[in-house]
Amino acid sequence: MIGTKIMASNFANGVLILSIFFSFLSNLFFFQKKFNLSIRLFNFSSTLIIFTFLLLIYFFYSSNFSIAAVYENSHTLKPIFYKIAGTWGNHEGSLLLFIVIIAVYGSLFSILFNKAESEKFKSWVIFFQNNLFLIFLIFLITTSNPFDIIIPRPIEGLGLNPILQDPLLVIHPPFLYLGYVGFSLTLSLVLSGLVNKNLNSNWAIISWPWVMIAWVFLTIGITLGSVWAYYELGWGGYWFWDPVENASLMPWLAGTALIHSMLVLKLKNQMKSWTSLLAIITFSFSLLGTFLVRSGVLNSVHAFANDPDRGVFILMIIFIITLSSLIIHILFSEKNKPITNFFLSKESFVNLNNLFLLFFLFVVLLGTIYPIILSIFDQTISVGPVYYNTILAPFVFIFLILMSLGPLLKWSNKIKLQALYIYIFIFILCLVLSIIIIVLSNSYDLILFLGIASSLFLIFSILSEIYKGSIRIKPFYLPRLLSHMGVGIFFLSIFLNSYYSYTKDFEIKINETKNFDNLSLKFVDHSIGKIENYLEMKTKFEIRSGKEVFNLEPSVRKYFQPNQITSETSIKPTFFSNYYLAINFPDSQSIILGARYYYNYLIHGIWLGLLLIIFGGFLSVFKKRI
Amino acid sequence: MNNKTKQRLSFFLVSVIAFIIIGKFIYESLSKNTVYFFSPSELYISTELPNGLIRIGGMVKKGSLIKAGNRYSFIITDFKNDISVNYIGIKPNLFEEGQGAVVEGKLSTRNSLMASKILAKHDENYMPKEVADALKKSGDWNKNYGK
Repeated sequence: MIGTKIMASNFANGVLILSIFFSFLSNLFFFQKKFNLSIRLFNFSSTLIIFTFLLLIYFFYSSNFSIAAVYENSHTLKPIFYKIAGTWGNHEGSLLLFIVIIAVYGSLFSILFNKAESEKFKSWVIFFQNNLFLIFLIFLITTSNPFDIIIPRPIEGLGLNPILQDPLLVIHPPFLYLGYVGFSLTLSLVLSGLVNKNLNSNWAIISWPWVMIAWVFLTIGITLGSVWAYYELGWGGYWFWDPVENASLMPWLAGTALIHSMLVLKLKNQMKSWTSLLAIITFSFSLLGTFLVRSGVLNSVHAFANDPDRGVFILMIIFIITLSSLIIHILFSEKNKPITNFFLSKESFVNLNNLFLLFFLFVVLLGTIYPIILSIFDQTISVGPVYYNTILAPFVFIFLILMSLGPLLKWSNKIKLQALYIYIFIFILCLVLSIIIIVLSNSYDLILFLGIASSLFLIFSILSEIYKGSIRIKPFYLPRLLSHMGVGIFFLSIFLNSYYSYTKDFEIKINETKNFDNLSLKFVDHSIGKIENYLEMKTKFEIRSGKEVFNLEPSVRKYFQPNQITSETSIKPTFFSNYYLAINFPDSQSIILGARYYYNYLIHGIWLGLLLIIFGGFLSVFKKRI
Repeated sequence: MNNKTKQRLSFFLVSVIAFIIIGKFIYESLSKNTVYFFSPSELYISTELPNGLIRIGGMVKKGSLIKAGNRYSFIITDFKNDISVNYIGIKPNLFEEGQGAVVEGKLSTRNSLMASKILAKHDENYMPKEVADALKKSGDWNKNYGK
């Protein structure tokens, strides 16, 4: 029995090593200019790695505790669904997933991209992808082999952090990884374009879907994380400027700048060197995100058990990849011919877009790594959300206004100013509307006023564009219209949400009623029961808000393995808002509940905005050339 | 100076000024919103008391937790020095005596803190990183705390 278990681990290790071997061979044949063979060997190697991943899933599924990664992160009591999800809920498994995704992007590209005349370009892309693959594979085998064995075989596993036991969290990391790691192919495409001197509009057309799909996945990943935080953590919010959230936002900001500069490259054959630099930055920030989450330098909800030595390794990998990419960039990047763009042209507005997004990136980066830098000097600090909000807000207003105007301009040409007069009128209309909203709700605040006005301006300018293009909107513009509309709705909802939402903390006994403003909350019932691998205390509250009466049923779970408590929130959605209630586990003797009530205004608007952004991006993946 | 140089020079000057203004803005916002962390011992030896929001971490001393309605008072210790803490609000899940905790608030005297927030992101295995570091520093680190 023990023999077969050890064999299983040895077998998996054997396949891993075989995969490294073929990846090396692929490099060898590449240098001998046997491009076809090199690509095939890469594909073979990537098939092997996908196979090992399936093997690991099987070990998790069958609770094979002789595998260390399974022992540390699984438990026989866990539901099957979460056993499987446990595969990527830990460092070793998630790193294997990371490598699998590098392999899948590379192989998909080699299969789907078939242009006889650019075979050299293709094999260079696969060459770079193969080396990224190899670097991480070696990292996996030397520091975090998922197939390490334990002898003797433990009878029971240690369990998975129960806060991760949530369906959203099962799909959140894979999507995030599909985004992060998707930018590895972007990097390979750029490096190959640089080396082959064909980083031009044709390159941008070829690369567009691959960059967009990574961007869409990353956006979905971030959105899922945000939705999860809202429903699961019981803190009532959707974004906390937590360092790990920032780690995923930074490559997103860089990637968003990248897709806008790629537009200029695609349509005007300009911004070549800048685009390649942005691609390098984007992937470097994806790696930095991995480093921040995995190294243990951060203290956050996400910081699972960590190992600082791995952090040093990842830091070295980031350094090597970024440095060698930059060297290739410097050696091969073509000098742009000096072009003077008119200020009121699309090109210069894309420049502004990039400038703003990189500024946002810088602000987030500073807030995220400042505590890490200070910790070297033995000071422990944390940076509060107010830092981000106060710095970013004024620039977001300008950004939104520029975003409304940019797409209305023309490429290279001066636009007739008369065409913009109507937008001055629209802008004034937005200011007036914003004043009306503020006066009606009796909340006089400059930031709220500017926030509403600028996001309304974006929404209205898109609406007017749709109206002018009336009846048939050219499909070419549809992705941009949808995504930008999403951004407008997103920010409008954020500003309104942050001003009209409120929180109440209270303690309550059974049958007691609490009154806030025009709302009354009554604690009517509770029950405790054992479900699968946790104990659950369910409660029932009766809420009266004006004429409306409804029940909220929040609960708390006490997990056995490992011992942990999680709150399950209860939410009553209405058209404009969410009534949100979360409770704490009561002191053992008396049923006095600590509870937290949130009134969340327009939270749907935030999700809707994000959905539109994602949908627009998704359409753009399939957009035919110009 | 021809026209082009003039244009460039003015562009350069404007960007320098913009950089300085934005830089100052960021710096001020960052320093205003930075919350420093202290262990009880660090606070004990510090010559100047921090005013404004700070965080203190350590173990919640056994037998020190007193509850009256939603008012709590307890002692945070790193086994060398103690800070007594007062807190009004909801006690988070897993905040218990003998466990690690981080509290955020303002100092009222050298060894007492009025807490506005109790941060309890840890489970029974996971000790808040700051607390682990603080206990390591005071020499009272027990390997079992970590895992």
